[in-house]
Amino acid sequence: MSEQNSKNQRLLGLFPLNWRFDLASLPGVRWLLKQRWFPMIVILINMFIFIVILMSGIMGGFSSGNYSFGIMFVWILWWVLLMMLLVPVLSRTWCMMCPLPSFGEWLQRLRIFGVNNKLGGLNLKWPRRLSNMWVMNFLFLGTTFFSGFFTVKPLVTFYLLGGIIVMGIVLSLIFEKRSFCLYVCPVSGFQGLYANMAMTEIRVKDPNICAKHKKKTCETGNKKGYGCPWLLEPHSLKRNTYCGMCLECFKTCPFDNMAFNIRPPGTDLLVNEKRGLDEAWKSFIMIAIAIMFYVAMMGPWGWIKDWVRGNTLTGWLKFISVHTAFALVIIPGIFFVFSFLSKLFSGSKEVRLKAVFVNLSYCLIPMGLASWIAFSFGFLLPNGSYILHILSDPFALGWDLFGTANIPWTPVATGWLVPLQFITLFAGYLVAADYGYKLSLQTYTDPAAAKRGFIPLLVLLTLVVIAFGWLYGG
Amino acid sequence: MSKTIIKTIISAVLVLACTIGPIVAALAYESSRTRDLTAEILARAPEKGNYSPRFVTVAFGQKVKLRVRNIDTVTHGFAIPALEVDAGEIKAGQYAVLEFTPEKPGKYDFYCTTWCSEFHLQMRGILEVTAR
Repeated sequence: MSEQNSKNQRLLGLFPLNWRFDLASLPGVRWLLKQRWFPMIVILINMFIFIVILMSGIMGGFSSGNYSFGIMFVWILWWVLLMMLLVPVLSRTWCMMCPLPSFGEWLQRLRIFGVNNKLGGLNLKWPRRLSNMWVMNFLFLGTTFFSGFFTVKPLVTFYLLGGIIVMGIVLSLIFEKRSFCLYVCPVSGFQGLYANMAMTEIRVKDPNICAKHKKKTCETGNKKGYGCPWLLEPHSLKRNTYCGMCLECFKTCPFDNMAFNIRPPGTDLLVNEKRGLDEAWKSFIMIAIAIMFYVAMMGPWGWIKDWVRGNTLTGWLKFISVHTAFALVIIPGIFFVFSFLSKLFSGSKEVRLKAVFVNLSYCLIPMGLASWIAFSFGFLLPNGSYILHILSDPFALGWDLFGTANIPWTPVATGWLVPLQFITLFAGYLVAADYGYKLSLQTYTDPAAAKRGFIPLLVLLTLVVIAFGWLYGG
Repeated sequence: MSKTIIKTIISAVLVLACTIGPIVAALAYESSRTRDLTAEILARAPEKGNYSPRFVTVAFGQKVKLRVRNIDTVTHGFAIPALEVDAGEIKAGQYAVLEFTPEKPGKYDFYCTTWCSEFHLQMRGILEVTAR
């Protein structure tokens, strides 16, 4: 499929994939994006919140999850916001406002708002062999080994966030710019992958202007801003995966050539740039974790809960083994079988199996994101009311700051839970199938071969949506 | 004062307000709120730490204000039957404030009144009322 054809395609046959509206064409928005204090001021507000989260881990109700500010804020509010709004709509805007790497970045820059392109620290290059998502894949999977503790023990959330902050500081002093965010942060990888689905993007307005601009200040920086902290070339940005939306390119571009576009969801899935097994495995891991979380947190199987919560060491080790095998071997293995069938059905001999496997794995992103959104409904609606309580009494010390401390636990619209989950899963399935076909076309080139090659993929997606439907609503 | 110095000061103030600020504010607020407490007792099942402290000393004839805070994941209770003090159920993450004036010196048992674990019967402590 040619680049031109892909530009003429429509999502679900309705929305043209090449439609864009530049939010920064609105003068107020452009002015805001170019200010040095933005997004730093939002980072500082989030830093305030995260300090309260850390404090709630070591003081107050440190054994009680439902009355812990840290647990409720991080695992109910922040996670839900991330999966339901920030990533699918606003791409990596969380990275834009994330306070966790800020201490490290300030130490590099020795500035908070100002510009100092002579960065401190050792400024080493991140190892080439690790310049991918593998470290993040393993770290994120490793983090989920402790999922049975995060939601009940505030101290564990303190250790996790504190660990990320310390790791961010240490790595920022050793490696250049945002190497930590790009290659290590456990939260970064899945945001990058699912940001392919986002309805916003940062891109150049006119590539010809960039082509003529020799200095490439978006890469090197100038007195108005830093060279891309995410080590990208903003002038030729093609997909959201590794763009942390820090907005420095808006400040450094002397031609106001950067755009903050609204677009149809998922257009990046068709961009064949830096695709690889690391990203494919990230989508397998995300689906595996969505299943495991549901089974462990909301399923009726008490013995699995006992494993995940580490009631016995043997049980917990069994959980780690099964979970790791499921995420790294079983789900990829199933996908491999269907990729093999796709190639077989297509009749194509020129296309390598690895290319089929990697390319088609990108259609799991809409399905995975939908499963996470559906899963998020499962704890937002029953448990969201705890947020009102912890806002008034963040450390379980008996405070009533906003008069909401005595609001009892009140599940909201739980009768709508399963229908909402089904609608979300079905929407994800439709988008996944649509992109699956487009990816098949991109992979096999010949439309007839692509149609045949798409059949096993459609069967797999159908099985996946049925499995999630059974799990969530069965 | 130069523009750079002003900017540096503003930056420093903002960063301190957002990092040290919440810590100082929380500690100051809690300290002002608990100034009149005689003692705070944390409640956990015996295998997770029991009441803490388990031994509280108060003065005879003086008003006592105890705050019992359940930092466990299960419901606990708190009662000193000999002094007719009973907090009833204290749910996970919640607390009870008890005010009373002991009229006789002595040692009084306090204990959990809600079955909280297999070691529930060990969830107890002593309130000692001393002569002035």
